[in-house]
Amino acid sequence: MSDTPDAPVAADEPPRPNRVDGRRLRSERTRRLIIEAYMALVRETGQMPTALQIAERAGYSVRSVFERFPDLTALRIAVTDYAIAEGRASGVLRDLDADRLTRIKSQVEQRGSGCERWLPLWRVLSADAAHSADLQQRIRMIRQLVVMRMEMMFRPELSAVSDDTRKKIVLALEALLDFESWARMRELYGLSFDEASAVWVKSIDRLLPTASSGP
Amino acid sequence: MTSAASAPGVDGRRQRSERTRQLIIEAYLALLREDPHIPTSARIAERAGYSVRSVFERFPDLLALRIAATDHAFALGNAQAPLRDLDGDRPTRIRSQVQTRAQTCENWLPLWRALNANHGDSAELKARIKLMRTAIMQRLETMYRPELSALDERERRNILIALEALTDFESWARMREDYGLPIEQARVVWIETIDRLLPPTPGA
Repeated sequence: MSDTPDAPVAADEPPRPNRVDGRRLRSERTRRLIIEAYMALVRETGQMPTALQIAERAGYSVRSVFERFPDLTALRIAVTDYAIAEGRASGVLRDLDADRLTRIKSQVEQRGSGCERWLPLWRVLSADAAHSADLQQRIRMIRQLVVMRMEMMFRPELSAVSDDTRKKIVLALEALLDFESWARMRELYGLSFDEASAVWVKSIDRLLPTASSGP
Repeated sequence: MTSAASAPGVDGRRQRSERTRQLIIEAYLALLREDPHIPTSARIAERAGYSVRSVFERFPDLLALRIAATDHAFALGNAQAPLRDLDGDRPTRIRSQVQTRAQTCENWLPLWRALNANHGDSAELKARIKLMRTAIMQRLETMYRPELSALDERERRNILIALEALTDFESWARMREDYGLPIEQARVVWIETIDRLLPPTPGA
């Protein structure tokens, strides 16, 4: 598959919305395929791919890659934004009104699946974040989203304690549910998905206070 | 020269060579603390006050130097963190464990990060990371033996995994760097949450 260059528009022709829309759609599709190629390569190798690898995998030329992204850092940022959007779309809050154990299990299922899917990309981004303020900002955003989700899922329990205690518990939950915490269970200790989930479920249950009221 | 006469000379040379080796390792560790990127041989040599050739006379390649530096750091870290208060009550043991672990994180976080980010495909470096994690788990198990001994093996393992995650280097780094907690406040977070994670102390 090769890249299709944008056709030039004659100066004396009136604008043709359909053609412009078609070009924009093709360009957007190319951009998305490049992003998906980057993510696929990271998942397969756990390494930061080169421009040539990305272009080959996406089916375009290296030039096409750099026509859409001024440099690889810009591509990395676009990949991160894409991953954040996909993660948010697939991580819909569920069981918010359920009993404590159901909420804990729901949170662990979602977070465990997220770690399985996004760990390689997370590692590549984290390892290289020192070079880019934009990447650091996105890493902070991902962490904030994880924390916000926990605070919503465990609102009945967290609202029953002082602000100070709540902050400490949230810090501990964040450490417990970190990407690398999941990775150690799966890679270093050889736990299955269900065994690793059970560790988290039990630990969250120990860390969370008793809710003042409600289910 | 007779062997009796040469022994002190040989010992002196060996000592000087060992000292050079040690200074190269210390230069490597100092550079890593300042910058998480793996230093070049030229920078290491410059910092240690030797030539690049001297570096490669002591270490066949930079990987060998990294492994030696990791071993040195591990030995030093262990020496700085003796087990204390093993017979103390539960709050004393938790405080003691947190104090030691926090100090280790403060001292060794830059090296730990560099080691994890740059181990590449080196089986030897990966083995050392595993060894360090095993040592952390063993220390946790020893410190909280009264609480853990009443549990079955799986439950004990699960709590140790959670304790390790809670007191991981990056957990400490988040509290200190991202949330800006002073050392004492960060310690309190760990103390209170370890207390929540641990099962009741038998006979207490």
